[in-house]
Amino acid sequence: MHRVVVTGLGPVSSIGVGISAFSAALRAGRSGISPITSFDARGFPHAHAGEVHDFRPDLILRRLDCASWGRSTLFAAAAARLAIEDAQLDLDTICPERIGVVIGTTCGESTVIEALTAEILEHGFDSLSPELLRRSSGDQLAHGVSEELGAAGESVTLGTACSASNYAVGYAYDGLRHGDAEVVIAGGADSVCRWVHAGFFRLGALADDTCAPFDRDRAGMLTAEGGSALVLEALDHARERGARIYAEVLGYGANCDADHIVAPNAASIAGCMRLAHQNASITPADVDYICAHGTGTAANDSTEVRAIREVFGESMPPTSSIKSMLGHTMGAASGFGAIASALAIAEGILPPTINWRHPDSALAGLDPIPNCARQACVRVVQNNGFAFGGNNAILILGAPPQ
Amino acid sequence: MTGLVVTGGGALCARGIGFAPIAAAIARAGVAEGHPSSDSREPSTEPFPSGGGHPLADFDARRLLGRKGTAFLDRRSALALVASGQALQDSGLSIDETNANRVGVTLGTTWGSLKSMSDYTRESLLADRPYLVTPANFPNTVMNCAAGQTAIRYGLKGVNATIAGGALAFLQVLAYVANALRCGHADAMLAGAVEECTAHMAWAVHRMEPHGRIDAGEGAAVFVVERSEDARGSGRHIDLELKSVTTSFSPAAGRSGRLSGALADCIRRGLAKSDVRAEQVSFAVTSQSGEDDRDRIETEALSMVFGNAQPERLLIKKIMGECLAATGGLQLAGLLVLHRRDPSRDGRISLFTGWTADGGVGAAIVRGWSRVSSDSG
Repeated sequence: MHRVVVTGLGPVSSIGVGISAFSAALRAGRSGISPITSFDARGFPHAHAGEVHDFRPDLILRRLDCASWGRSTLFAAAAARLAIEDAQLDLDTICPERIGVVIGTTCGESTVIEALTAEILEHGFDSLSPELLRRSSGDQLAHGVSEELGAAGESVTLGTACSASNYAVGYAYDGLRHGDAEVVIAGGADSVCRWVHAGFFRLGALADDTCAPFDRDRAGMLTAEGGSALVLEALDHARERGARIYAEVLGYGANCDADHIVAPNAASIAGCMRLAHQNASITPADVDYICAHGTGTAANDSTEVRAIREVFGESMPPTSSIKSMLGHTMGAASGFGAIASALAIAEGILPPTINWRHPDSALAGLDPIPNCARQACVRVVQNNGFAFGGNNAILILGAPPQ
Repeated sequence: MTGLVVTGGGALCARGIGFAPIAAAIARAGVAEGHPSSDSREPSTEPFPSGGGHPLADFDARRLLGRKGTAFLDRRSALALVASGQALQDSGLSIDETNANRVGVTLGTTWGSLKSMSDYTRESLLADRPYLVTPANFPNTVMNCAAGQTAIRYGLKGVNATIAGGALAFLQVLAYVANALRCGHADAMLAGAVEECTAHMAWAVHRMEPHGRIDAGEGAAVFVVERSEDARGSGRHIDLELKSVTTSFSPAAGRSGRLSGALADCIRRGLAKSDVRAEQVSFAVTSQSGEDDRDRIETEALSMVFGNAQPERLLIKKIMGECLAATGGLQLAGLLVLHRRDPSRDGRISLFTGWTADGGVGAAIVRGWSRVSSDSG
């Protein structure tokens, strides 16, 4: 079995594109929330989201023709390209068949599907444009990354909703451990779109313009978008090429509530944590930081903390939600969590939960790392990801091997 | 060698519910012949393209699944639930407290439900206020709804994944499931793929391939996959042994016409992994329709690998219509059905293949047995 390490990070987010900008924003506790511009949000009482305004894929991508791919695929491909650059990895030195791509998503090419819907409404089904249809399917996300990187290994889009990028990193890790590939790019992508905004608003899950996870007065989540990508490779491979190693992937756990299609389940989430710890051969006491799912809804945060308390007892590790800054980037979310977790280990910085004002007595004992990033020696991080469908996936990262 | 076996399955398609209609269609057609069903009935009031489509006529989720939990199911989720229930029953794998955490689900799709996603946008655009959408339909717009609903209905608490792979989805599902079992994440997995034939999907097929002669179909096929030793220990019947699954991507293949070469390479790698020689392959289940320009990709790939000694072929789309992600699952269902009723095929090795226009290719090597004899090989 190979040990697997993280050697490149590629965030394309509302708080920064590229690892330097993203890391600086996490340290500063910057918010990426702004009034919605990607669709006409008139009539929505809540009309803020975490959109990536300065996204210029043409300045990042080398091979993809930006005009031929959907927004989510461009997020994924740009994130992957940035991660490869960050890893200083010359892909030409690797057999293309040994480079894999795994991308998670919740709604895939949602903005393309909305454009198709506009065609149906305006001119009927027989006006659907073949070119938009071609780029509308979920497999485009992974295939776009593979095309951009010239990767000829597995190219898989995992549609496991809002924990999908933890699923993606987990699948990549398993493959590398068994020697199926030399390098795998894993992450996730989603785009802000009308239907998701409407759906979350209707469920009563949307905040107005501020996401305040773990705060007593938290009002909900904010929809958001972006692409997250990590370069994973076998430890030997990374050492051989003298790569900088951010963190080691110690393991992950994935399970399913099999209970309710949208409501989270504390017992099942606790079970997923235990599974992740067991697979990573760690105990709760080893965990220095939890990068929470932390959507900022009343239900998620109380359920998540209940599960953490069940597993960690009264010694809950510092736990923050980067969704307070990014909003909920859906399929990209746990990938951003994995990037923040790797940075926490490599740079000794715990990202804050911003917008935190009032302690919630129901979450007593929780340290949400309120408002200001904190220096800490971090050896093991737990990165939580939960989703509709009860799809829980939790990733454990550790300090690079000595 | 994966050491994995299929111990049962369930399927539905335009031909009907279960394996029997598929067996009958194949028997009527002969192995390499067939005709898409023409007795289609529209499941909605939305118009289908002139060529029509092949939804499963009179599919009634409530009648098949009961009232509980079915009020807001979309069509693909209902199709997946029916096929999954059949698979568990066919295999004899029962789920209880002792194994629920160790049994998972992986389902393949193209978009999720294109209709559910598009209708939600439409509802928001047309409503008096843009947020007046139906809350209970929101989960249907998410890709993993069918897999989540399957877990809820059958109490499957193990790893639960959804793969958006289009025509390659089911092969990618098999690879994902093989990994989950190899790594000990689960002891048994439901592996399947589903596609619904709605007006949205039928028009998408029609508009993407305006010159293609294959109309949209639909279906779901789900299989119980587990380790060979577990199946033998439990006494469950082994239908198929999964010798290898290989999927890969060929950059620029869509533009350069290298797809058949990439698929041939993929098949060769699969044969090598399975320790099988080309001449041992007696059967090939392709994603061909028999009536389509795109058929040449697999024809060329098979001829590169097998030369003049071509294996017998089953063209599943000719029987089922264009079922996109479900095609792969229905290919395996067709193979299982052929084995199940014919002991003379026991132990023979088959190949099944898939590809996507932009460069995804995949192949699986399987070996099958009948259920007429008691010997599972």
